[in-house]
Amino acid sequence: MQRLWSRALRAVAVGTAAVVLAACSGNSGGGSGDKIQLKINFWGDFGLTQLKPKYEALHPNIRIVLNSGEYNAQHEDLQKKLIAGSGAPDIAAIDEGFIVSFRSQSDKFVNLLDRGAAQYESKYLPWKWKLSLSPDGKTQIGLGTDVGGQAMCYRTDLFQAAGLPTSRDEVSKLWPTWPDFIRVGQQYTARTGKKFVDSATNIFNPVLSQQPVGFFSPDEKLQMDGGPKVAFDTATAVIDAGLSANLVSFQTGWDQGFVNNSFAVLACPAWMLGHIKDTAPGTNGKWDIAAIPGGGGNWGGSFLTLPKQGKHVKEAYELLEWLVQPAQQIEIFKEVGNLPSQPALYTDPALATFTNPFFSGAPVGQIFGATAMKLQPVYQGKKAGPSRVATENVLRQVEAGQLKGSEAWAEAVRQAQKAAQG
Amino acid sequence: MSATGSAPPAPTRESTTEPGRGPRAPRLGWRDRALRLDVRLMPYVLISPFFLLFLAFGLFPLLFNGVVAFRTWRLDDPTLDGWAGLANFRRLFGDDAFWNALYNTSGIFILSTVPQLLLALIIASLLNRRLRAQTWFRMGALLPYVTPIVASTLVFKVVFERDHGIANWALSFLGLSSAANPIDWHATKTASWIAIATMVNWKWIGYNALLYLGAMQTVPRDVYEAAALDGASQWRQLWRITVPMIRPVVIFTVVLSTIGGLQLFTEPMLYDLNVQGATGGSGGQWQTVAQLIYKVGWKDLNLGYAAAMSWALFLIILVITLANALLTNRLGGGRK
Amino acid sequence: MTIARAPQDTPGSRWTYLFLLLMLAFSAFPLYWMFVISTGDESAVSKTPPQAIPGNQLLTNLREVFTLQDVFFSAGLVNSVIVATVTTVAQLFFCSLAGFAFAKLRFKGRNALMVFVVLTLTIPNQLAVVALYILTGKLGLNGTLLAVIAPGLVTAFGVFYMRQFIVGAVPDELVEAARVDGATVTRIYRSVVLPAIRPALAVLGLLTFVATWNDFQWPLIQLQGTDYPTSMVALSDLASGNYVLYRRVLSGALVATLPLLVVLFLGGRQIVRGIMEGAVKS
Repeated sequence: MQRLWSRALRAVAVGTAAVVLAACSGNSGGGSGDKIQLKINFWGDFGLTQLKPKYEALHPNIRIVLNSGEYNAQHEDLQKKLIAGSGAPDIAAIDEGFIVSFRSQSDKFVNLLDRGAAQYESKYLPWKWKLSLSPDGKTQIGLGTDVGGQAMCYRTDLFQAAGLPTSRDEVSKLWPTWPDFIRVGQQYTARTGKKFVDSATNIFNPVLSQQPVGFFSPDEKLQMDGGPKVAFDTATAVIDAGLSANLVSFQTGWDQGFVNNSFAVLACPAWMLGHIKDTAPGTNGKWDIAAIPGGGGNWGGSFLTLPKQGKHVKEAYELLEWLVQPAQQIEIFKEVGNLPSQPALYTDPALATFTNPFFSGAPVGQIFGATAMKLQPVYQGKKAGPSRVATENVLRQVEAGQLKGSEAWAEAVRQAQKAAQG
Repeated sequence: MSATGSAPPAPTRESTTEPGRGPRAPRLGWRDRALRLDVRLMPYVLISPFFLLFLAFGLFPLLFNGVVAFRTWRLDDPTLDGWAGLANFRRLFGDDAFWNALYNTSGIFILSTVPQLLLALIIASLLNRRLRAQTWFRMGALLPYVTPIVASTLVFKVVFERDHGIANWALSFLGLSSAANPIDWHATKTASWIAIATMVNWKWIGYNALLYLGAMQTVPRDVYEAAALDGASQWRQLWRITVPMIRPVVIFTVVLSTIGGLQLFTEPMLYDLNVQGATGGSGGQWQTVAQLIYKVGWKDLNLGYAAAMSWALFLIILVITLANALLTNRLGGGRK
Repeated sequence: MTIARAPQDTPGSRWTYLFLLLMLAFSAFPLYWMFVISTGDESAVSKTPPQAIPGNQLLTNLREVFTLQDVFFSAGLVNSVIVATVTTVAQLFFCSLAGFAFAKLRFKGRNALMVFVVLTLTIPNQLAVVALYILTGKLGLNGTLLAVIAPGLVTAFGVFYMRQFIVGAVPDELVEAARVDGATVTRIYRSVVLPAIRPALAVLGLLTFVATWNDFQWPLIQLQGTDYPTSMVALSDLASGNYVLYRRVLSGALVATLPLLVVLFLGGRQIVRGIMEGAVKS
């Protein structure tokens, strides 16, 4: 018995040591002695994987830690850490859906104006610059990374199989409006027996972004009957027409959906390109990009901020400044599609002439550059993030057949109100 | 292993080893004196680490939780501090999220406890036969017990995938599911409850079977021999002799699974498509009370309300545990 | 059908074996499936009919798990080892001390205190997490490993279990004899009690290690979003985020489960005995 017990202990110890060794060898460059460690929290793909080694080569004393998490969770986590007074990363990405709530806590962030960020104001889209400015206009909490000009990604191979046109100009002509889009979807479904779009929420969001007013009016009143109602109705129309594969985007079933050709189109804000590439590398060359029905709209787009708790504010600001320089912004665009929020870059030849091989050589520079110039930003509101999550959840219940018609809308209103109060 | 089903163990103790406070006492040397002090004081020294740690991290939080429930205690605004009176509890009664979670918890609890204990009884009675490879069967039964619930839940999530899960594939042979019309194990209360109850059953059937087996092996042989004259089948033997004989352990397992089942947390958390959401499905189809407490406390950052919910759950567990124990006692007793 | 024998003396029929084998298959299936997916490539998880045999992608998948920096998986394993080991050692030490006192020593208030221990056995202290969190916060421990470890250092079950065992395993005469020889209480614990209770230490140690390793809710509350989670929290992080791939998630699950399978393999008999004895004792 005693021998057994000590044998067990020894086995556990040996096993652990092996695992630890394996872990360390896999983590090249880990265990940095006296290097300054800068942690960046974000979600999805900010195109930083390629930039990290470059910056570390330029600054041998810096080690960058990339921490990509789930979209909502990252924002909740940041909020928690700001309240707790410790634990926040050196650089925290914030999406436009949450920026209003964070900019009203501007005392918890480094004022970038104190660090000389004012020089960048003229380079940014004016509304983008203002979005991360504190209500009194005295504190700039973040520098914009990207904006979410929109297009519609589609699978050329699946379109061909369904007897639909495949060239991007012809496809764009198929769907000037969302009702047109639904009609094309019905054709596709009728001919192939397959679903057309991945999910209703990825219809809801682009349509909402095209409306003049979002969830909240500028005086912070939740107004579901404006933009959200239009977007919700469009999304439920897509569900009713039997077009949705009812997948939950950014979750596990979604990437299987890509592999199994479960859907043929996906609404594409610029940043979605990186998601597609990362999630479904196997679909390389099978995508192309057409215009989005309804035209225009801005969905998403982020800021990089420096929480005050960071221990290396100076170094963090240097990194932030480096990241928003044109060279890096263009490289990010080429790598993951995130469209810079500095308009001068849209005419920069390096961006304007860029074609993306993953998307059948689509001239993404041109396409997204053109969308960005026309953007009309929608006011987001402090609780825009939670309200959207609540509405998306109701849409998923409609997809699952648990809610119908007017009952669904009433539930959406109820849940969004709850989220707005909470 | 537990308090239930046994008389309080302490009172009837015979083994004590205290040197008598005999007449020899006054003539002790320093060494004896030290020994005496040792005997007098050391017991308290020995039990103090346990009691200090237990009071600090076990009992105190439990009582303090009751205080917090009557206060406003928000993580996002520490300045909102003060007595809230019954506000948290009043809110609780009107909160349909709480009642929904309670409904889900009870549903999953019934779907998991009843099959779990019945199957465990049957398996235990089979393991109680004269078998080859006894040890292997017993250790196999423990495989789920040592597997982390986090890990097994993630596996079951793959099994219960709507589009390519094995569960639907297997059910398609019975005509219950098809590629065109698959069961969405996340969509409805019924489906998600069954999926989660399956995970709970998987985890605990073997463990309970071993508990039962341990008790069954102490049932004296002559009890069976006497009953065999009546021509009892093995099945009737199990229900009419074995189960009544191991009644304390049956009650114990009912209590254990009531306490565990009503606090179900890990399975519903990780079953969600978005693991961090704590919503228990897009419409809270399977959100349990423990999950809701976590959400209210650490996502909505309202600790006061979360504490009130904990107290409510505590009372509910207390009542149901007592009711279950009484019921089981009567059932077992009535049969004999 | 007439049975003239007790179940223990009845040989298992073909049906008995069949049913038990089914149970074994049901118990082992999720683990097998975990292995299949974690050794497979992207497509393994969505095949119809399902992939039946393991693939050869395990190393690729593991490399991805360990290099995903945001998940801190290697740190998680190290932390789990620390937390589970410290908790186990503390449990064994503190609970055997208290169990010895309750079983073999006489002191004022002993019976009352023992009744107290028994009464607290079934209190679900998971329900006190809110207050516990406030407490660890006041102590400045929130978000640290210490906060994760502290509440698990002792349990009423551990003390009760040790006491029950010591009552039977350590003869009074032995303690008496040592006493007559002038041994101190500490000495008696070391040279009389400890050697006699090794089997119980093994059982309690194994059960504690398994339970601590697998604990989720409290570590999640404390360590979510830090760079030093436990393996369970790291695993849940692996299962969230924007690119969740099952082959990755389940190879992580495999790594986090493996230490416990080793524990079961080496100490399975003790665990089985511990659970079965627990039933008799209770």
